[in-house]
Amino acid sequence: MHSLAVLAVALGLAASGTVIGPGRAVAQTFDRLAAEAVIPSKAEIRGGYVLRAAGCVPCHTDHKNKGPPLAGGRALPTHFGTFYPPNITPDTETGIGDWSIEDLARALREGLAPDGSHYYPAFPYTSYTGMSDQDVGDLWTYLMAQPPVARAKIPHELPFRFRPVLGIWKSLFFEPGRFVDDPAKDEIWNRGAYLVNALGHCRECHTSRNILGGVDNSRRLAGTARGPQGKKVPNITSHPKDGIGGWSESDIAFFLKTGFYPDGDVAGGAMAEVIDDGTSQLSDADRAAIAAYLRDLRPLSGP
Amino acid sequence: MKKVTLALAASLLAGVVSPVFAVDEPENIIKYRKAVMSAIGGHTGAIAGVVKGEVGFVAHVEAHARGINEMSKLITQLFPAGTGSDAFKDTRALPAIWTDKAKFDAAAQALQDTSAKLIEVAQGGDVGAIGGQLQNVGKACGGCHKPFRAEKK
Repeated sequence: MHSLAVLAVALGLAASGTVIGPGRAVAQTFDRLAAEAVIPSKAEIRGGYVLRAAGCVPCHTDHKNKGPPLAGGRALPTHFGTFYPPNITPDTETGIGDWSIEDLARALREGLAPDGSHYYPAFPYTSYTGMSDQDVGDLWTYLMAQPPVARAKIPHELPFRFRPVLGIWKSLFFEPGRFVDDPAKDEIWNRGAYLVNALGHCRECHTSRNILGGVDNSRRLAGTARGPQGKKVPNITSHPKDGIGGWSESDIAFFLKTGFYPDGDVAGGAMAEVIDDGTSQLSDADRAAIAAYLRDLRPLSGP
Repeated sequence: MKKVTLALAASLLAGVVSPVFAVDEPENIIKYRKAVMSAIGGHTGAIAGVVKGEVGFVAHVEAHARGINEMSKLITQLFPAGTGSDAFKDTRALPAIWTDKAKFDAAAQALQDTSAKLIEVAQGGDVGAIGGQLQNVGKACGGCHKPFRAEKK
């Protein structure tokens, strides 16, 4: 990833004409390669990073049945039924091939499909609403550059047709709005807050929900006894006993990189997926930012 | 008097015999298995302390890697049939261990291989390289835990 980024910068310089003499031929070669999409653009590289940071891969890929990347179809059991995240490859029939950037932005930040219908909040637009324009745009560029895969959507298995009342649900539990830096905090903390709350959507699993499935924000990141897959999800506030107050920042960053708990055990279950497809592929700086932010959370007991 | 003697003899006999019966009881196997797994976890946790830069015991890493490697050779013996979570509450060992034995053995082998490599890397003394190989060891742990260990309740 890093060397690709360097290459992309070199490509940018070359293409902007700052390179003269023999460099121009190199620039032309780069232009041709870029036109053939052999070398991903800078936006695409950044978008691939956003994809990892936003944890899109584990839900939109059916790893269990060796499904193609991002082509959807993985079962997501919840208290409200089993959801099947859709195909987000750029296939025009079964994927999002005909989506504009605006379509993607509306989906991520407003929970609305291109036809104006509401998405179920199993798709965490409740968190992605904080995403920056830059990240949404880069993500779109990345997704559109992936190989299209024709893979039909699997209908959700739900006891009721909730969709008509989703508008009401959203008016109760969904607060749209971009992430805004807290000026009282430093840059690292704010980056961590953005990664945890907007992209990483950690609270979607690590917070208890009310009977209607709304996240209890007064207990944000304090874990839940009844997680999305019916399992206990741990408290990740800085509570010394119930949370991860006993972890150092390097413990947290190391866990997000490798999956090792401070006691030497290894993460399993859903968190292992989050680490494999997401946090292990972030930069050390971003993992440190997440750690700095989490360490600063108000300690809450429970769940 | 005779009764008392008999009772005494019986209790003595029980005292002698019961530990024999207790050997390799499934509960004890589970307890032992957890102790071995904790030993592996202890060594990886110790190496992690070096990799995170919390302690400077780089020269200790090889010993810990050897510990993991030795323990990894025992793993397949730790799971006799009938010691799974379908029969006992106190274990997270999933029945797939026995129904998919070949995959389980391969997963255990992966820890032997990655930890053997970690010994080699540790001898080089490069903390960055140790961290990289520790990650592969972690993948081997996860490669077995994910399909064969139930999540914590």
